[in-house]
Amino acid sequence: MIGSGIKRGTAELAVLSVLQDGPLHGYELARRIEQQTNGALRFTLAALYPMLYRLEQQRWIRGAWETSANGRRRRCYRLTPAGKKKLSPLQREWAELFRALQRLTKVAHA
Amino acid sequence: MPDWQELVRRRLSGLRLDSNQKEEVHAELAAHLEESYQAFWAEGVPEPEALRRTLAQVADWKELQRGIHLARIRKDIMTNRVTQLWLPGLLTFALSMGLEAVVQKFGPRPFVLDLDKGTPVLMFYTAWLLMLPLAGALGAYLSKRAGGSVRMVLAASIFPVLPFAVVFLIAIPVGLVVNHNLEHHIVTAAYLSMSVGWVLAPGVALLAGGLPVHLLLRRRSSSQNAAIV
Repeated sequence: MIGSGIKRGTAELAVLSVLQDGPLHGYELARRIEQQTNGALRFTLAALYPMLYRLEQQRWIRGAWETSANGRRRRCYRLTPAGKKKLSPLQREWAELFRALQRLTKVAHA
Repeated sequence: MPDWQELVRRRLSGLRLDSNQKEEVHAELAAHLEESYQAFWAEGVPEPEALRRTLAQVADWKELQRGIHLARIRKDIMTNRVTQLWLPGLLTFALSMGLEAVVQKFGPRPFVLDLDKGTPVLMFYTAWLLMLPLAGALGAYLSKRAGGSVRMVLAASIFPVLPFAVVFLIAIPVGLVVNHNLEHHIVTAAYLSMSVGWVLAPGVALLAGGLPVHLLLRRRSSSQNAAIV
């Protein structure tokens, strides 16, 4: 079973990575993550918003109300400079972890 | 189509945030649910099923409420402690130390307390003690203005003596128990007089400034509340 720390870490990485491409509101963000991971990562509303608020409190993302062309008001999140700074070491750490796990599984199968 | 805003408001009725934050959360979650529902609908999912799938995104509303509450208040706790205790406390500390330096340099001679054979144990800077209520009042005012509770306001006002209180009430007695070679009557007398000089007297002086400010501001805020009601 994947521990909550790892789950939280991957979720944060996913959100920050997707927001790197531009601001998105919650629903769009969840859809984008699902599409880009071919459905491997799915965020329900219950998982998404506490995390977005946490990331906002850490000042890695910033939310602001915006009105879309069809008149709908949505809270859009964008990556802050602090979030951008956090993202690259986070991506490096996870890449290292996956490489290590891959090596480990190859050794185990050999 | 359900009234999503009302649905979220009802299910998160126990969310303990201020009303603006609560409204924002309700509006944001309602918008998410609405969009999700419309997407299912657009995919051709029949209405009851679209509704079921949309609502299935939240298995436990109480859990969601708890998660949002924790995520939103975490920083508030930290910020409050900084603005209600640490900042006013450190300013009070700095002011009291500054006043002491000024009194030592330019003020009248201190009252010297000695025990045996003229060895000075403690110097009372009376002028400093008389000025300390100012520092206590400043700490209490800043803490109260930041919304501090009674405990925070009083702690901020007596903040300069708190480190000494810890030393005199805990560290020294523990040290004496560990190392009991010293003459007991001398140690006890020195300990008591220093506790009075470093903790009790300045603490009372600080509180003499902090407490009236607290009472004054409390009375003012309660009369304002009465006027609003």
